[in-house]
Order: sequence, then structure tokens, then C-alpha cells
Amino acid sequence: MKSRSWRLTKGVAIASTLMASSLTFAVGAPMASAAPHRYTIGFVVGAEADPFFQSMYVGAHAEALKLHVNLVWQGDPVDYSPATQIPVVQQVLALKPNALIIAPTDTKALNPYIAAAVRSHIKVFNVDSGSSFQRNITSWVTGNNTQGGKAAADALATAMHYATDCTAAKKCDVAIGVSSLTTSTDAARVAAFKAEVKAKYPYIEMLNDVVSQSQPSVAQSAFAQDISAHNLAGIFAVDGTDAEGATAAVKAAGSAGASIKIVGYDGYANNIASMVAGGLGSLSAIISQQPTLEGTLIIKYAVAALQGKKVPHLQTLPNITLLPSTPASVLAKYQYVAS
Amino acid sequence: MSTSVDALVTTVKSQSRVRRVVTNQQFVLFVVLIALILFFASRNSLFFRVGEFSNLFTDFSGLVLIALAETYVIVAGGIDLAVGSTAAVSGVVAAGWIQPLVNHGVNQAVILLVGTLACAVVGALAGGLSALLITAFDLVPFVATLVTYSVGAGLALVISHGAPVGYNPGAIYWSASGIGMITWLVAIVLVVAVVLGVVLHLTVYGRYNFAIGSNEFAARAAGIAVRRHLISVYVLAGVLAGLTGMFFYIRSGSGAATTGVTNSANLVAIAAVVIGGASLTGGVGRWAGTMLGAAVLTVVSDGLIFINVPPTWIQVVVGALIAVAALLQSFRRRSRRVP
Amino acid sequence: MTIASERTPVLELRNITLHYGSVEALHDVSIKSYAGEVIGLVGDNGAGKSSLIKVISGVNTADSGEVIVDGVRRHWRSPHDSMAAGIETLYQDSGLAPDLSIGSNIFLGREKRRSGLLGRLGFVDQRAMEKEALEQLARVGITIPATQRTVSELSGGQRQAVAIGRAIAWAKHVIVLDEPTNHLGARQSAEVLNVIKSAREQGLSVIFISHSLPHVLEVTDRIIVLRLGRVVRDAPTSEFTVESLLGTITGLNESTGS
Ligand SMILES: Nc1ncnc2c1ncn2[C@@H]1O[C@H](COP(=O)(O)OP(=O)(O)OP(=O)(O)O)[C@@H](O)[C@H]1O
Ligand SMILES: [Mg+2]
Repeated sequence: MKSRSWRLTKGVAIASTLMASSLTFAVGAPMASAAPHRYTIGFVVGAEADPFFQSMYVGAHAEALKLHVNLVWQGDPVDYSPATQIPVVQQVLALKPNALIIAPTDTKALNPYIAAAVRSHIKVFNVDSGSSFQRNITSWVTGNNTQGGKAAADALATAMHYATDCTAAKKCDVAIGVSSLTTSTDAARVAAFKAEVKAKYPYIEMLNDVVSQSQPSVAQSAFAQDISAHNLAGIFAVDGTDAEGATAAVKAAGSAGASIKIVGYDGYANNIASMVAGGLGSLSAIISQQPTLEGTLIIKYAVAALQGKKVPHLQTLPNITLLPSTPASVLAKYQYVAS
Repeated sequence: MSTSVDALVTTVKSQSRVRRVVTNQQFVLFVVLIALILFFASRNSLFFRVGEFSNLFTDFSGLVLIALAETYVIVAGGIDLAVGSTAAVSGVVAAGWIQPLVNHGVNQAVILLVGTLACAVVGALAGGLSALLITAFDLVPFVATLVTYSVGAGLALVISHGAPVGYNPGAIYWSASGIGMITWLVAIVLVVAVVLGVVLHLTVYGRYNFAIGSNEFAARAAGIAVRRHLISVYVLAGVLAGLTGMFFYIRSGSGAATTGVTNSANLVAIAAVVIGGASLTGGVGRWAGTMLGAAVLTVVSDGLIFINVPPTWIQVVVGALIAVAALLQSFRRRSRRVP
Repeated sequence: MTIASERTPVLELRNITLHYGSVEALHDVSIKSYAGEVIGLVGDNGAGKSSLIKVISGVNTADSGEVIVDGVRRHWRSPHDSMAAGIETLYQDSGLAPDLSIGSNIFLGREKRRSGLLGRLGFVDQRAMEKEALEQLARVGITIPATQRTVSELSGGQRQAVAIGRAIAWAKHVIVLDEPTNHLGARQSAEVLNVIKSAREQGLSVIFISHSLPHVLEVTDRIIVLRLGRVVRDAPTSEFTVESLLGTITGLNESTGS
């Protein structure tokens, strides 16, 4: 195993209530097999080297080739913040693209630049994270965090053998690790997870959130406390940092952690490797987003919109639950690519 | 000599013994520490277990070396804001360097020794940068070490691409092995800590440290090589920060650019020193005070998680603790002025 | 006491010039001091007295000129070198570390080490230092009840006593006192003058800086007047009165010296 990756997400999308998940999406519909124009599309992400965005690039790049789009892919390699993203956006807008696709690193900070683009007749799209001012956004493709949080609760309950092992007399304690409670994607996942547990799993007792500040060792120390203080049965690690901390804490706890199940998020190579390897502290399930599909779809929508066709304003993609039993070929499909 | 300046000397009235003890910061801290442990144990009796004390010792070890580094620097009249990011950059550099050894299945002891050396070297370079800026370019320590902090944090991100570097589960298992509540890792850190205490209080080097922080001119006029000493102090602090980076690598089996950065480890370390009774104006500080300060901070932050207090409150409590320590110190200083 | 010009001066400065940036603090200053002689160094605020003694002690390095001790030209890399050459200095701006104990201050820069291996590892022998500090101070007539007390716990006068005690206790050849009667009352000042006299009796060369002209006239053998970084007068004390000395310092009676 080489580099283990995880994502440093900060401020992102608006409330999940906006998400109309009922929309069906038309993957593979031939929208522009012979594009009359060669469009230039700027695509700006944050933390570009992150496998999540690298995977998004794979989808976007392939679709751009297919549709004869001149794709300008940009983003600070490692920093996920408006401070580094704004200059990149300005550079890209200076190229006068036909459309700008952006994963805003802050719900508000990018709005003036988006508005400026719209004023100069550049169509603006969101991918993954969204702007707080959606009137300027033609279309937004993103993962469904609510569905993902619920899927995580179900996967963890299954892994913990909720039906047999958790009872009114002997409740199962569960810890939730998150990098920051102000990251809206993560907050949405946590909220959905908690709602699902409350609704479906009354014999699960949720401890207070572990806030790891993107730091595996902080997560590890906190999970070690939870293991020591409670009869911990499961951990929901909302991001790679917390999965890493949870794994290390369970490994270090030895026999005390032997029965603890961990559900992680995102199909990072190290997450999948941990799940496949099995053993103490390995992941029992991974809730994965579909960044490659997000990349494909947003390019498709951008071209369609530029051609004057109607595109969905919000398209949420369901998260996929990956299990140790998932065939290797499927795991390979959903694993995020390394930079 | 025939004459006498006895007339210059009037006897200073001694403080009462009771007052001396009660206003002794170390004594107060010791009582606070015991009270905290009893409090947490009363809320959850599982606190009094070998496993939990092992956790506490481990978390203490992650703080104590940088806290002692700050003790040296602060006693010498400076401040070091760089220790957190120095730990991060050392950890990711060492993790990258030793991963090939891990992949080739080299003996773990060799791997960890090489990693420790690498961390010490990177730490020394970081400390050297601060020292250079302070002694050659006359920057105040606050600014100089802030520069080093930024350089370190930036380099750590660039080197790691914002992702954890390396994966060494063997290190995690080793970090948990030991005798009773003391792991080998903790034992090594404690030995280093004791050596630092001995050097600070019993050797010429430590004496010069106090003299320089107390009155730099007096130290220079007494023939002490002040510049050389200050260089050595910042390099020492860098090395200790580097070792802390290695500590976290061993604990979580990989290096992360966020280690010691996102949780403001430098400020936590300074807090431990201040709680321990050191004066930020230099010349005053005690090894035992810093040890107790770090112990109190560790027990509070772990214990609050242990008794399942919401994470936001933990910061409030730690802040309050520092405020109380500062008040105690000013009270103590005032009471000392009594003629 | 008369100046025997054929004797070798214990300390001689030749043509010292010193700048702080563009400020010229000393210009072509030459002085000699002999064993068993007390020199008074006087001048207005900013005349360059402290600058001169910092050149003597090695805190400042002169831009040009020579420092000669016992006839040998020396170069101080740091105050450590001048101390090793037997020159002790009491600085106007406190040369004590307030947070260290009295004993530690007396031994600052020349800590006593433990015997054997521990000593070679740099371990200090604090107990021996405290004990010897008491003895050293007592030897020069200063008794302080507990040397473990930190200097910050002493009054201004007590600190001055410790600083003077340290200088006198260590001085082998030359002792430089920059305004030692600062912070001191009349009675204590008189005691300091007695200390200076007995230092002379012991054969030390004393350089005494003070703004109290009666003190200077009382205790010195020779007076050097500095004005704006230059030596404007160097003559036996017997040639001065308070009025003429004041005139020379301020430059109102230039003719006095000729
Ligand atoms: N560290 C310094 N940096 C710059 N200029 C200095 C410094 N120290 C002294 N000076 C300047 O050098 C000149 C001589 O100062 P010095 O301290 O030697 O005077 P002094 O005769 O000791 O005065 P006083 O009686 O006030 O102590 C003054 O003009 C002073 O401003
Ligand atoms: Mg002066």
C-alpha cells in the first residue's frame, strides 16, 4: 500500500432539504454525439490531488473527450480553502470559457466570482459542494449525504449484528467520528445517521461526537477513551481521518477492541484495502460516493445546457455501500484513483 | 576587609510556611490532578483501570515533549509557535522515507530507529530555521517561529498531498505493547522527559537558560555565549517536536500533515507550561510544573470524553483551566512581593 | 597616592573609537589605570562612560583602538575573556539575573561543577556555590541571610550590594564600578566608598563612575573627564574642586585644564 488518502473537506453544500432525490438521471443518453461547437469548460475544484477529485477528473476528462470539449481542469493541489481557490477561479475566468464548473470550497466566499462569471454570460455549474446562492447555478451534481448517512447506519447495525446482539438490557454503544461539525456534507451525513439510528435501532446508544479536526491522532485518542469508558460496539467514521484514527485505536486496544465494527466513508484505496485485509480494526463497510460519475454527468449537463437543452437543476447521486463480500471488480470500479 | 556593607542589608521577612505551600503552583496542580482523577472515577468507575491509565500516559506522552520544549524556550525568554507543524512535517517526511523499509519487511526496531533519526533531523532543521531568524536576522521569537510554523505546515501539506503518508500497522501494535499501564513508547518518552528535567535544573546548560531568560544582558555580561545558547535551545525544541512527530507516527502507523497543526498543539503545549507556573516573560519555570500542567490538561481532555461530555464543552473547560492558572500565578507573584 | 609613570599600567586603552550605528559614542579615548589606584570617570549623561567600560569588559567591541592588560595587547571575544583576565565589572543597568538566587548570581558564568563524571556532564554543585557565595560576600563585608533567595526578592539597595559583592569578590586586577551608589541612601553610599578604598588597599585598580562629585573627589586618586565621547581632562584628584570639576564636565570653564 502506498499513499493513504483522505479528504479535507471544510465548508460545503447547502442544506440537504434542498435535495430532490426523486430525480432520475439519464446516464449514457447520447446528448451530443456530434457537437457543432468546441466548447471550453473551466473546471475548478479544491485539493485537486485528492483521489476524490482525481476520480472526478477521470469521469470529466473522458466525457470531455467524447463531447469534444476543451476541458480546463484546475485547483490547488492540496489546499481546500477559498483563499487558494479564488485566484484559481479568476485565472480560469480570464480564459473566457463557455462554462465554469466549480466545487466551491466555501458556500458563500465564491459567490461574487460566480456572479461575475454569470454577468459575462458564462454558465456556472456546481459539483460536489454547492453555492449558497443557487439562482446563479445552472445545475448541481452531488452525492446524496442523507441517503449516505442512513446507509451507514444500516451497514453498521448489520455489521454489529444488531438484531441478535443489541437488546434493551444490553444496549450497543456507538461512537461517531467527524473532522468538523461545521462541514455541511459531514454534518448532513452525521444527522442522517443519527436520525436513522433513532428511527430504526432503539437499542443503539450514541455517544457524543468525536471531533478530530482532520487529525488521525486526535480521533485515535478520543476513540481510545470511548473504548475504555464504554462497551463500544461500533464506530461510524465519517471521513478518512476518523477511519484512520478508529482503526489505530481499535488495533492498539487489542482484545478490548476485538468486537468493535467500523463503518467508513469514501472509496479511498486505503479504506478499501483495510476492509479487504480484514482483522482487528478493519472497516466492515464503506459508504462510497461516485466522483467519477459526478464528473461525467456535470460535463454532460454543461454541454447540454450550452446547447440550450434543459438539464436538472439538482442531481443527487446515491452513495454506494461497499462490503467485504463485494466482488473485487466492483470494488475496483468504485475505488478512488490516486493522483 | 576592614569595612562592611552590612548596612545595605536588612533582613527580609520570611513568608509563613503554610502560605508558601498553598501558593506553590506545583502543589496546587498536584491536588487538582488528584481531584480530577477522583472526579472522573466517581462519574465512571471504569476510569480506574490499567487500560485507561495506559491511554492517559500515552496521550500525556504526545504532549509532554513539546511542552518541555516550550519550557526551555519560554524560560529562556522566547516562545516557539512552530512545534506543532514541526511535528507534522517530521512525521510525514519520516513516514515517507521509511515506508520502503516497511514494504520490504525490515525489522520494526530498525524502521522505528531510522524514523526517529529522520524526525530528529527534520526537527533540528526546523528549529535551526527559527534560531537563524532570531539570532542572525534579529526577528522576535514570536514572528520567527510563526514563519517556521507556516513553512512547516505548508511543507507537510505539499509533501503529503494532504493525505496520510505510509502505513505501518506493526508500529501501532508495538505502540500498545509494554508492561502494565506503561507502554515501551511511553517509557522512552518519560526517560527523555526526566533527562530534560535534570538538564534544566541541575546543569550549567539549564542554569544559563534561566539566566538568559531572566536578564539577557546580565547573562552576556557574565560571559555566557547567549547567541549560541539560544540557537541550541530552538534546535532542541525542534528536535523534541520532531520526536513528537515520530511518536504520533508510531501511534497511528502513518504520518499526517494535520498532526499537531489542526489542534494547535503549540498552544496546548504553551498552556501546559503556563499552567505549570512558568512566566511568559522568561526566567521562571519548573520542570515539575510543566509535567503537572501537561498531566492536568491530558486528564481533563481525556476525562471529559470519558464521561461523555459534548466536544464543544471540552474546549471551554480547558480555556477556563488556563485562566485559573494565570490568575493563580499573578496572585502568587503579588504575594511574593510582600516585604 | 602618586602615579608612577614608569610602572606598567594594569589596564590601558589606546585610541578607542566606538560607534552605535551613526552615533559616535567614543572618539580616540586613551586611558591608563594602575594597581592600587582609584580612577574617577566622570561626565554628563551620554558622555560615553558606560560605553567605555563596556569596551573594557568586552560587552562592546571598539571600532578601532587597543585594549592592553599588563602590557599585553588583548582582544575580547566576549565578556568571558575579560573576566578570565581578572577584570570585574559592575554595570549601571543591572548585571544580575533577578530570577536566579543570590548564590547563582555570584557564580553566574563561572558555575561550580560537581566533582567527577557528573561535573564533566555539566552538573552544577549548587550547595557548594551557595556556601561559597556566602563566604565570598562575607569576605568583602556583605552578609546576606539566605543566598537561596532570588534577587527579585531583594530591595534595590540589597541588589546593588550583591552586585558590588560579586564584582569585588572576583576581581583580580581591575574592578570597574558604573554608578555603584545608584539606588543607595547616604549611609549605604558611604559604605560603598569604604569598599572602594579597601579594594585599593588590596592593590586593585579601581575605575569608579559616579555623578556624585563629592564622592568622586573623596575616594579617587585621579579623575578622567569625558565629554561627548572624548577625554577632555585627565589629572590627579588634588587638582579639582567640586566647582572646577563641574565646569570641566559641562565645558563651561575650558581653561581649567591647561
Ligand atoms: N546600545 C546603544 N545603542 C545606541 N546608542 C547608544 C547605546 N548605548 C549608548 N548609546 C549612546 O552612546 C552615547 C554614550 O552613552 P553612554 O551610555 O556611554 O553614556 P554615559 O556616559 O554612561 O551616560 P549616563 O551618565 O547617562 O549613564 C549616548 O549618546 C547614548 O545615546
Ligand atoms: Mg552610563
